[in-house]
Amino acid sequence: MKIVVGIKQVPETTNVKINEKTKNIDRRGISGVINQYDRHALEAAFDIKAKTGAEVIVMTMGPDDFVVSLQEALALGADSAILLSDRAFAGADTLATGYVLSEAIKKIGDVDLVLLGQQSVDADTGQMGPIVSEFLDMSQVTYASKLDVDGDTLRIKRYLETVEQDVIAKLPVLVTVTDQANEPKYVNVVEIAKSFEKSVITWHASDLNLDDDRVGQAGSPSVVRSISSPEAVAKDNHKLADNPQDAADELVRILKDKNILVEDK
Amino acid sequence: MELLKENWIFAEVDLNKVNPITYQLITKMNQISNLPVTVVLIEGSNESLEDDIKEYGPDKIITIKNDQLAQGNDLEMTNALDTLIDKTGRPNSFVFAATVVGRSLAPRLQARLRTGLTADCLDLHFEDDDTLVQTKPSYGDNIMCEIVVPNHRPQMATVRSNVFEAKKFNNPSTKVINITNLKVVKDNQLTILSKPLPQESAESITEASRIVAIGRGDKTEENLTNAKRLADKLHAVIGVTRPLTDLDEFDINDQIGQSGQSVSPDILINLGISGAVQYTAGISNAKTIVSANTDKDAPIFKYSDYYYVGNAEEFSKALERALQ
Ligand SMILES: Cc1cc2nc3c(=O)[nH]c(=O)nc-3n(C[C@H](O)[C@H](O)[C@H](O)COP(=O)(O)OP(=O)(O)OC[C@H]3O[C@@H](n4cnc5c(N)ncnc54)[C@H](O)[C@@H]3O)c2cc1C
Ligand SMILES: Cc1cc2nc3c(=O)[nH]c(=O)nc-3n(C[C@H](O)[C@H](O)[C@H](O)COP(=O)(O)OP(=O)(O)OC[C@H]3O[C@@H](n4cnc5c(N)ncnc54)[C@H](O)[C@@H]3O)c2cc1C
Repeated sequence: MKIVVGIKQVPETTNVKINEKTKNIDRRGISGVINQYDRHALEAAFDIKAKTGAEVIVMTMGPDDFVVSLQEALALGADSAILLSDRAFAGADTLATGYVLSEAIKKIGDVDLVLLGQQSVDADTGQMGPIVSEFLDMSQVTYASKLDVDGDTLRIKRYLETVEQDVIAKLPVLVTVTDQANEPKYVNVVEIAKSFEKSVITWHASDLNLDDDRVGQAGSPSVVRSISSPEAVAKDNHKLADNPQDAADELVRILKDKNILVEDK
Repeated sequence: MELLKENWIFAEVDLNKVNPITYQLITKMNQISNLPVTVVLIEGSNESLEDDIKEYGPDKIITIKNDQLAQGNDLEMTNALDTLIDKTGRPNSFVFAATVVGRSLAPRLQARLRTGLTADCLDLHFEDDDTLVQTKPSYGDNIMCEIVVPNHRPQMATVRSNVFEAKKFNNPSTKVINITNLKVVKDNQLTILSKPLPQESAESITEASRIVAIGRGDKTEENLTNAKRLADKLHAVIGVTRPLTDLDEFDINDQIGQSGQSVSPDILINLGISGAVQYTAGISNAKTIVSANTDKDAPIFKYSDYYYVGNAEEFSKALERALQ
């Protein structure tokens, strides 16, 4: 079995500020770490590897310093690591990122399972899983809270608003993993150092079969027009009626209008 | 590809019930859109949820009645929506709930249509009639971004629950179009079994979506009993300020604030709480805050969306009656 795990390197803290001069996010002094949810995706892969002897390939698209996260994944137990790096990839939105990831997975070939985190903690979209599955023509199971492998099927539990689902998925399939799925392991520095014996493979745009119009900024339909730090949300400070019953009736009416109190909940 | 001068909303259905976010989206779209507002509903062949949706007054409801689709497989629903759009033309925008369902289906359709999608929006407005300006948080809500999709249609977005108000609206010209013969391509890779989630009991305050919080001003035995009855009625959890942890029945796990728990309920009702900074430090993520206090200058009112000046016990009893 061949498993690909997609990981993203994200800032160590989400407590970022806008630089008043550049109007960009100020990342000075913030180092990069593996996106927390991706640790759970990796752990799920290692679990399956332990049971089936599967091969685990870890992959990221990003600048060269994302290599640090790939090394850590190798130290944790991945068999090989691929960095997708090219200036042409810069400025990609989810559509363009998903396109490159899916082309790289096609190049690897015969992949049975693609595991991603449920979402990144910086951009927070969670869109990569469904986009990559679509481009690979694979079925998808998002937000998996539990995964068990059983021959060439996976048993997955996931939770919707008011519904619990048990999904039996035949391979090949793409699954995105929540933080409830497992307890990720961490590695020490020595093991990371040892992992440098396994080297990271780099693929540039020219190594993949890409349509130039579909990568990087050119391939990105969405445009981030502005970013800002939100002010603390100002409260309404609406004074309710003086008589207690009038006040209570008024409040219940408002809360129902706003759907904060939904009937029969 | 033909463009359709309409804005679309995907109706989210959880176990034969329309999720209220759908109504919130209809009201919002009706307010901001100059183009007709269409709701796309996928439901089982014996259901008629369009009747509920109608009460919020969209211009059109397209119902796809199909038992297979109603099971909620993302790939099958993507195929169905893509087929529908193939027939009608691409809408100007297409918005979804930022729930597990919406956040799984919308991006797959985005990729199929090769357009832009903004996740988890907190606000939407139109510019020049048809450009959808989407405001979304990032970095765990520390940053707000404004995103547009200038050259692709539909402009897609998922929107968080309870940021917009739903209002019933009588629109006599709502058209309902039933589609019963849509061809469904079955996904043979997945078998999905769904069952309702059991309602949680003994929820912890950090997870609770509703909290009734009690302070020193509402501390008597009788008041506590009242507050608990109110909490029961609301399916809310009880939280307290630090002074109340002196009582046997409360401890640090029930205490809200700097040295207690941080809470993020949809609604928090403060009874007889002054609003010391050590307390308010724990409630900054509460969405709607209601407070009752006899002191018209109580600091807690500054943090409140709604406040009642007067006796907390009388207010909590009245509230219980209002909820009958
Ligand atoms: C502040 C901000 C807001 C943004 N908002 C949007 C938006 O609303 N719409 C939009 O289309 N784009 C948006 N983008 C661009 C988007 O962040 C990038 O395309 C990003 O690389 C992928 O999206 P994501 O981080 O949301 O990943 P998600 O879809 O949240 O990630 C899910 C999983 O996919 C995998 N994954 C994600 N990125 C990579 C990668 N580079 N390599 C390998 N695996 C990966 C990981 O397993 C991850 O857990 C935004 C970017 C920023 C900085
Ligand atoms: C280091 C430190 C950490 C702390 N951590 C926390 C913490 O985590 N959580 C916490 O809660 N506190 C904490 N405190 C204590 C905090 O400073 C306050 O003392 C506490 O929050 C006050 O609780 P209260 O609002 O219930 O009581 P009070 O401040 O006594 O307020 C009672 C309120 O009830 C009103 N009232 C009286 N009678 C009625 C009535 N019949 N109807 C309606 N209203 C009435 C009064 O007008 C008053 O506003 C901490 C303090 C320190 C020093």
